[in-house]
Amino acid sequence: MLLSEVGYARPASVDEAVRLLAENDGARPLAGGQTIVNVMKARAAAPDVLVDLGALEDLRAIAKAADGGLELGAMATYTQVITSGDIKDARPILAEVAAQIADVQVRNRGTVGGNICSNDPTNHLPPVMAAAGATMTIAGADGEREVSAEEFFLGVYMTAVGEGELLTKVTLPALNGAADGFAAITIGTDGTCIVNAAATVSRDEARVALGCVSATPVLLTVAADEDAVREAVAGATIDPPSDVHGSADYRRHLAAVVAARAVAQAKEGS
Amino acid sequence: MEPVTSKRITVTVNGASYERDVDARRLLVHVIRDDLDLTGTHIGCDTGNCGACTVIVDGLAVKSCMMLAVQADGVSIETVESLASDDELHPLQRAFSAHHALQCGYCTPGMLMSAKHLLDNNSEPTENEIRRAIQGNICRCTGYVNIVEAIDAAARGEVPA
Amino acid sequence: MTTVAPDQVEAPQKGFAGTSIPRKEDKRLVQGEGVFFDDVKRHGMGYVHFVRSPYAHAGIVSIDVSAAEAVEGVYGTLIGEEVAAQTDPFFEMSTPPGSEIRDYALAVGKVRFAGEPVAAVVAETRELARDAAELVEVEYEPLEPVLDAVAAAEPGAPILHDEAGSNVVWSGKFEWGDFDEALAEADHVVKIDRLYFHRFSSTPLECAGALVEYDKGIAQWTLHCNHQMPGIGIVWMAPALRVGTDKLRIVTQDIGGGFGNKITLHPYFVALCLLARKLNRPVHWTEWRTDQHTANTHGNERTFLDVEVPVKADGTMLGFKVRAFDDAGAFPRYEPLGCIIWAQVTPGCYRWRHVLVDFTQTCTNKSPTAPNRGYSRMQQLWFTERVIDVVAHELDLDPVEVRKRNYIKSEEMPYETPNGCVYDSGDYARCLDIALDLIGYDKLEERRKDAESRGKLLGVGIGSTLDSGTNNFGQSQLLNPELQFSGNNEVATARLDIFGEVVVTLGTTPQGQSHETVTSQVVADLLGITPDDVHVRAGHDSYWNSHAGFSGTYASQFAVTGLEAVKGATLELASQIRRLASVILGADGPDDIVLEEGMAKRKDMPEAALPFMACGAIINVNNAGLPPELDDVTLNCRYVYRPPFQVPDHETKFGNLTLTYATQIHACVVEVDRETGVYEIVDYAAVDDCGTRIHPQIVEGQVHGATAHALGAATFETFPYDEDGMLLTSNFYDYHVPHALDMPPLKTGFIESPSPFNSLGTKGMGEGGGAGIHCVCAAIQDALRPVGNPVVTESHNPYHRVWELLQDPAASRAGIEVTGR
Repeated sequence: MLLSEVGYARPASVDEAVRLLAENDGARPLAGGQTIVNVMKARAAAPDVLVDLGALEDLRAIAKAADGGLELGAMATYTQVITSGDIKDARPILAEVAAQIADVQVRNRGTVGGNICSNDPTNHLPPVMAAAGATMTIAGADGEREVSAEEFFLGVYMTAVGEGELLTKVTLPALNGAADGFAAITIGTDGTCIVNAAATVSRDEARVALGCVSATPVLLTVAADEDAVREAVAGATIDPPSDVHGSADYRRHLAAVVAARAVAQAKEGS
Repeated sequence: MEPVTSKRITVTVNGASYERDVDARRLLVHVIRDDLDLTGTHIGCDTGNCGACTVIVDGLAVKSCMMLAVQADGVSIETVESLASDDELHPLQRAFSAHHALQCGYCTPGMLMSAKHLLDNNSEPTENEIRRAIQGNICRCTGYVNIVEAIDAAARGEVPA
Repeated sequence: MTTVAPDQVEAPQKGFAGTSIPRKEDKRLVQGEGVFFDDVKRHGMGYVHFVRSPYAHAGIVSIDVSAAEAVEGVYGTLIGEEVAAQTDPFFEMSTPPGSEIRDYALAVGKVRFAGEPVAAVVAETRELARDAAELVEVEYEPLEPVLDAVAAAEPGAPILHDEAGSNVVWSGKFEWGDFDEALAEADHVVKIDRLYFHRFSSTPLECAGALVEYDKGIAQWTLHCNHQMPGIGIVWMAPALRVGTDKLRIVTQDIGGGFGNKITLHPYFVALCLLARKLNRPVHWTEWRTDQHTANTHGNERTFLDVEVPVKADGTMLGFKVRAFDDAGAFPRYEPLGCIIWAQVTPGCYRWRHVLVDFTQTCTNKSPTAPNRGYSRMQQLWFTERVIDVVAHELDLDPVEVRKRNYIKSEEMPYETPNGCVYDSGDYARCLDIALDLIGYDKLEERRKDAESRGKLLGVGIGSTLDSGTNNFGQSQLLNPELQFSGNNEVATARLDIFGEVVVTLGTTPQGQSHETVTSQVVADLLGITPDDVHVRAGHDSYWNSHAGFSGTYASQFAVTGLEAVKGATLELASQIRRLASVILGADGPDDIVLEEGMAKRKDMPEAALPFMACGAIINVNNAGLPPELDDVTLNCRYVYRPPFQVPDHETKFGNLTLTYATQIHACVVEVDRETGVYEIVDYAAVDDCGTRIHPQIVEGQVHGATAHALGAATFETFPYDEDGMLLTSNFYDYHVPHALDMPPLKTGFIESPSPFNSLGTKGMGEGGGAGIHCVCAAIQDALRPVGNPVVTESHNPYHRVWELLQDPAASRAGIEVTGR
């Protein structure tokens, strides 16, 4: 419950934030704090320095991109995502999924970037970004680089954001007639996911990303037909955990069910 | 700018301004309870699930156990102690009492702040919206039945004097 | 001096009792002005952090606190060696081998559950204590843990308590009626290999804790804490600390929920007492949520093996035979009583007479267990409800009809059970009808078809439960004939102050049960005033001298013991006021005085009236010239209520163990998703009968809350351990409790069958919600009947369990057998 001693800085610019992250060993960004503060309470991790991104207003911007897609600042909170008119127009699935995360208090502070960068296998947004084919913009000492969602998620709690770097923005392509879906089985309403799946369906093809069943989202490209989806999931290389909420076999089975449901939801929407 | 392990913060709580030196590692809820002696805000868990620590920061309901006190520099906070004025209870407080929406009272301050946040932003909530608003507040005594009724009554202005 | 026997006085006028007045507790609680222990501060207090065992079972080789003590700001430490030198082990309730257990405030010599406190560090700030605790070096020698109650009883199992030489805390046989006769009379015998009631707890939102001060000059401790049963707490603590009971002053004001999980806090509190004395400063300890889940208490888990139920072809149940195993965790403490307490409800709601129970309680390397809402009766009632559902399904009978056939009838009340307990009143069939009506039972077939069209299986389930209230502690002698406990009591005082204010103190320790409010209703009616005129002190304080050995809030008894004590004290006060007024006003006698509107008035001349203020003033400061017959009029009355109990018979284990029995009958409708095992409760009704309802709104609030606890336990809440003895659900992520969106729509109903066994007709009723577990189990079993007829044999049915039942119904049936003639 009680944190170890930690250093704290609240930079006024992205450049300053990147410098602080690079120059301090064991420095971590502090976004909404809805994950990292709990991790620190449990002393499961004890960063030496927290770089508070709360003053970086630029990173909260949500805007439609020129091509009809969406540019989502990494510090946009779930509440901002839920209430954004631009998201409702350009990519409503983000608002639908954000609304399922935990509760009002968490959504008022928790951020898109935090959810993506913590990359807990049970998180909601990594599969959504993978299915949608999002692109992540990472700022570092040498400037900015872009990484596709498929290459961004590297392992449990691990992403392409390296030491001294910061996720600044997530860009989603325009729907252009495609539609998104998301389905999950959770521990209680809006609780932690036991399995989840996101789908982006374009014409008859579905990009389906499975969460919770591997270190990172598992992306499948398959015909947008429920039976085909189930078969693809059954044949996919996944490694679901066994724990108090379900066995590996149960999760394997549920993964196929939620994948099919996500695809069905997307098809209804298109 | 270099990282510091402690910082002087200025924070407005319930309309009063406070200046305090706090270690960076201290949780906002502990500073509220221990340093500012506002013990109405409670602690019920250690993983940010229970919501007993809910306060309103710059107009948004947040769990004060998942915020560092140093992050509160310059913000405006409302705690349960702000609801009543002089000797008059806030309509939500009166509604909670009228509908027996509290038994042990431990979750109540956080519950009231979540309810206030709801009604500040939505004057005609549906039952589902009410439940969503308090989804982050655990109660082990009431089963939420009367809490939902109380918030609904307060929203409709049907509260005894 | 006149003494007033309860049965000589007419029941209180229908006034405030029976109405739902605003609660006195609310004004402070809604403003965040309640005083919970963590709100109490003392200058210079030290914050305590416990170093805890990472192993479920290990020898302690060495403990080195020197690095921690060397840190600036650390005030001191405490280890098991010091505890063993300065205290005696806590008294054990059981007979040998359980009596040989050595239970101390910190681990001595070995650790027996993961999270067990091994050392304590006290420092200037919470954070510093936490940091310094990491510098304490403990060397352990890991041992093999035993994590199953049945396995723990077998030879060769790792032994937790070497002094006891066995993991068996207690074992005994209970035999009533003639089971062989029942077998002979039966048309069938329904056999169930195994039923299992799981480990969970009510997880009150406020964790345990205390601020302990030591007054060196008088060698007295004051504990500002949240102990919910101080009477017994002090009985444990004082001898351990080698002091008289008056050296421990327990002060509680507001408590954030107890539900039984704050009854066995004495080990922690003794550690704090030793620290306060050693360091000569107040010490403060807050339990964190993870600590509460791992190292406070769980409700006990019970395994029922080799169940045999002789039945008639029409579903009449004649009796049951079972081997039951209780898992008490690492230290039994209060738990041995659970070996007997279930017998308060031996037959559940049913009329079977022939019972054979072989009961064993064992220790395992898991968190100690303690009475959790429903304590030991809930497990037995779940057992009876599973049995009747299995009987009904196996014989292809309607569970509603079978229940009604077997229910004890209201005409038979008061009903003596096979072991001599007396069910005071109730009408189970009527409650069931109301519950079924509330869930639209006659429309169920339509709903079943509709659910099917959506790919869902619909099921309906019934849960019947009894909340036995007001214990006869004489049942402890059935556990151990040497124990010197029997009966029960509660205390209240009522006085008139100098300025005429009515002040009442209680011995109870409410954690949300509205004692101040309900007390004020009863007092107001007896004194002819309003509840606003009655000042009820908040909480509990040993210094008020308003408690006795069994004082506290537990075992569903306040409505009887607390209120009877209040009534007794108030009637005495009323009598004294009338006697005084009679003399002052020149009436013929006290019977000619009536108490109305805060005054004592002559019935024949109402304008001759003495305000309470005058009465108070005369007795307190203006008493010259009063006649000798008023010598004993003090207007300061203390009453100890003693329920009418005898000690039960040791040999036959026969006798009345509880005074009152509230009923709760619940019914629920579930829809199960065949694809996933996920189920939803789509309709729910809880019908309550707690006799006379002093405050209907409060009663209903208890029904809501207990139901929520049960539904949480049925679907989400469980305390499982891995093979190393690590708890898998130590926080609210994994131990999911119902939130607002998880609750089904709750309908409630009630009837009132007053108890003939106390003057108010009331019954304690806070623990009846276990019915939620029973009816969810029943509903799932009903829903799955068309897909292989699986049997629900466990109390905890999360989605993955339902999934297993869907996948392999035969596996769940493997242990079910019906033999017939």
